[in-house]
Amino acid sequence: MTTKYDVIIVGGGHNALICANVLAKKNKKVLICEARETCGGLLTNDLTNFTPSFSNKVKSEIDNISVDHSSVSTIALSETGHHLKLTGNISEDKKTLEQLAPEDVDRYFKLQKKLSLFSKTLGAFMHSSPPRVLHKSFSDYFKLFKLGLNVRLMGKNSFNEFARMIGLNIADELEDNFKNTLLQGLISHDAITGSNLGPRSPGSLINLLFRMANHGNSLFGGIQQVKGGVNAVIKSLEENIIKRGVEIKTSSSVKRCIIENDQVKGIELDDGTLIHANTVISSADPKSTYLCLLGAEHLDTDFKRRIKHYRAKGRVSKLQLVLSKVPQFTNLESKDLSQRLVIAPSIDYIEENFNYSKFENLSPEPILELSVPSVEDESLCHNGNHVMNVQIQYAPFNVKGGWENKKAECINNVLITLEKYAPEIRSCILEQEFVSPNDIEKNFNVSGGHWHHGEIQIDQLFMLRPIPGAAQYKTPVTGLYMCGAGTHPGGGMTGIPGKNAAHEVLKNI
Amino acid sequence: MNIDLTQAALKFTPFHNRTSRACRTNSWYRWSGYTVVAEYSTTELEYTATRNGTSVMDLTPMYKYEIKGERAKEFINYFVTRDLSEMKDNTVAYVIWCNEAGKVVDDGTVFCLNQNEFKICCAVKMQTWLKDSAEGFDLEINDVTDDIAALSVQGPTSCSVLKNYGAADLELLKPFESKNFTIDGYSVLISRTGFTGDLGYELWTNPENAEKMWDSLMESGKHLKIRPMGMHALEMVRIEAGFIQTGTDFVSTEHALRPVRMRSPYEIGMGWLVHLNKKNYFIGKRALKAEKENGTTERVLVGLDIEGDKPAHGAVIYNKKKEDVGIVTAALWSPTLKRNIAIASLMRPYGTKIKEDIFVEIYHPEELEYKKIWATCKVVRRQFYSPERRNQVPAEVY
Repeated sequence: MTTKYDVIIVGGGHNALICANVLAKKNKKVLICEARETCGGLLTNDLTNFTPSFSNKVKSEIDNISVDHSSVSTIALSETGHHLKLTGNISEDKKTLEQLAPEDVDRYFKLQKKLSLFSKTLGAFMHSSPPRVLHKSFSDYFKLFKLGLNVRLMGKNSFNEFARMIGLNIADELEDNFKNTLLQGLISHDAITGSNLGPRSPGSLINLLFRMANHGNSLFGGIQQVKGGVNAVIKSLEENIIKRGVEIKTSSSVKRCIIENDQVKGIELDDGTLIHANTVISSADPKSTYLCLLGAEHLDTDFKRRIKHYRAKGRVSKLQLVLSKVPQFTNLESKDLSQRLVIAPSIDYIEENFNYSKFENLSPEPILELSVPSVEDESLCHNGNHVMNVQIQYAPFNVKGGWENKKAECINNVLITLEKYAPEIRSCILEQEFVSPNDIEKNFNVSGGHWHHGEIQIDQLFMLRPIPGAAQYKTPVTGLYMCGAGTHPGGGMTGIPGKNAAHEVLKNI
Repeated sequence: MNIDLTQAALKFTPFHNRTSRACRTNSWYRWSGYTVVAEYSTTELEYTATRNGTSVMDLTPMYKYEIKGERAKEFINYFVTRDLSEMKDNTVAYVIWCNEAGKVVDDGTVFCLNQNEFKICCAVKMQTWLKDSAEGFDLEINDVTDDIAALSVQGPTSCSVLKNYGAADLELLKPFESKNFTIDGYSVLISRTGFTGDLGYELWTNPENAEKMWDSLMESGKHLKIRPMGMHALEMVRIEAGFIQTGTDFVSTEHALRPVRMRSPYEIGMGWLVHLNKKNYFIGKRALKAEKENGTTERVLVGLDIEGDKPAHGAVIYNKKKEDVGIVTAALWSPTLKRNIAIASLMRPYGTKIKEDIFVEIYHPEELEYKKIWATCKVVRRQFYSPERRNQVPAEVY
């Protein structure tokens, strides 16, 4: 046993950094052990296109992050060239919709208002540990009561509507309300993105509410680009905590936690180094935390069953294209390419894609979200060349045939799809880099390679995240906590799990 | 005998050709997918064989699992509540195992064949539970129930029978030890274990030797009052011995439909098998520790000595104020002890602090009429019958 720390955090994702920041502000001596060469985890320019900025509640508890944000619009691409651009700004969006989807204008803003109310109500619940059910403690009952009350206080009509919609699929809601298939496709896309649901899968609406809660309760506002990309945010977070005395060890993969008498005593690194601390916080995903870091011999059978059944198979792949020049997109100016472009022209298009992924196959015409941020921000160029980030929804973990054989096919499908909007795309490509969910699993130590460390679905949210019996950032072992996206309220660049976990830890040390 | 095997819904044990011939009553019992004899001739005679001679019982339907691998011992010690870190080769241990809530899944015996190979013998199908529990231990777990022909040979003359059979120096085998013998060219594992509370052994062999083994045993016991025993007589001897039976005295967590029906080890008299100071974690340890610390145990399993001679099957137990405080799970007029005994589950503090003024309400059928008997009873040790010879080394030889 070497140096003594109050807290060791396993993994250096943004939640870990934020957790460390909150703890360090309370004068705790924190060590972060990150397996990779750099911190940031899944938040890296190689994987993440856009980010919402941290909420005020998170910002107020961490040191100031000095980065420049700019708002990003979303453009739903249409093969006809009648692209739909939504910014989140009411008057601009109204103008756009009046032109392209005149029948849907009122209903769009009504839906936006309704969903915004729901996401705000649920969002208020994100900033503290979820209550423990069946624990007979007053504060837990009070929290549950408050949630119930908040939902009820939306008013009778909204309450009924909430109850109707909470388990609903997004397709039903959109088909009932909208005529414009491009608009339907775009909203559906945001409801299913990152998940293992189709627009017609029950529960796809809650995924959308979750997304909205992290984007200022708006459908298409709140999406931002940071100068220098998300790496700039991570860098700033790192600098802040180092100033606070937090130590960061990169290239230090943690092999296991040391447990004595059901109490954490520290960690062992892959190289055999033992580091002592009575509190260890894992920012790794639940399966890695429990089955690898902690070890099956410290868990009950029922618990292991729940962890094993925790759904965390990623469905998003990433393709980075280094371009010789900015490709011409039909009916788009080149500066539009720095915005968020979505290719998901209808609900059926998405649902058909989902069918392929359901059986672990590749879709010949995938759903894409893309951007060339270097158009606006030169620092994001690669050796002076522009870089296009393409995110491929429903390119499944463990694709049939294996990614080593399917990679080329998947890239070709992406390019075939892109060619419909940017006919010259192939001739612009200098280099390409493809990352499958299996690559994410391997390179980032996230089992299943899931963005959010696990599905955002009603049975894996709130007091059920990641699993019942371990939902308050605590684990069954004293002194071992979790702070990653696999905990309440879930993934996305929010920093909330990290912040909440820090509070839970501070209660106990 | 012509039996159409394709029509049989239940499996036959490897002893079926012998047991069915010995069974004069054609009285069968359904046990874990097998059919075994309930009563060969008269239950009382079979019972008497166990207490005064030797009884032979077909144990094949007991579920048996083999657990192999480098971490087998570590796993077993994590799987059961008892501390088995010092368990030696060729020994057997009586154990229970729990779920995460600290409720009993089943009881059974663990056989340590060597430090990397164990067998678990139990009443409830355990393949899924074992496999899921062994997640992360990298072990091989196989259901070997059908691969082992098992007999229980129990009673005061059982050692002598087995010596005649060919098990040399068997009297030196201590309780809960096992030993491999080669008899007539086939291999038999004999352990000094049993479910009768008397001197006795259990024999495992390959099914192909089953009939040979049965015949040799009967021949060896010819002058030592040997007799095959059915399930009804087993129920009598096990109650006298105070052994609990899954499904009768408690419901396995794997079978309980209502969570409130699950029982912790402290509620079924198995607290002595829970070693909370065991170094490693075991399944249910956190819950059991909390139960112990917070004193939240609700029930207790006790022995009852009941006045009169009418067995209190399924009887409800009352306190002085005639409030319902428990239920009889198994009852018997004990022919050996000449006492009316029962195993009962009581709501604490009845059975722990309050041991007097407890009544059972017995409904005794008498020629199409029920006679209601209000009998007083005493809380006593559950192990009603335990003769010295049971644990004596060397064992009694006649």
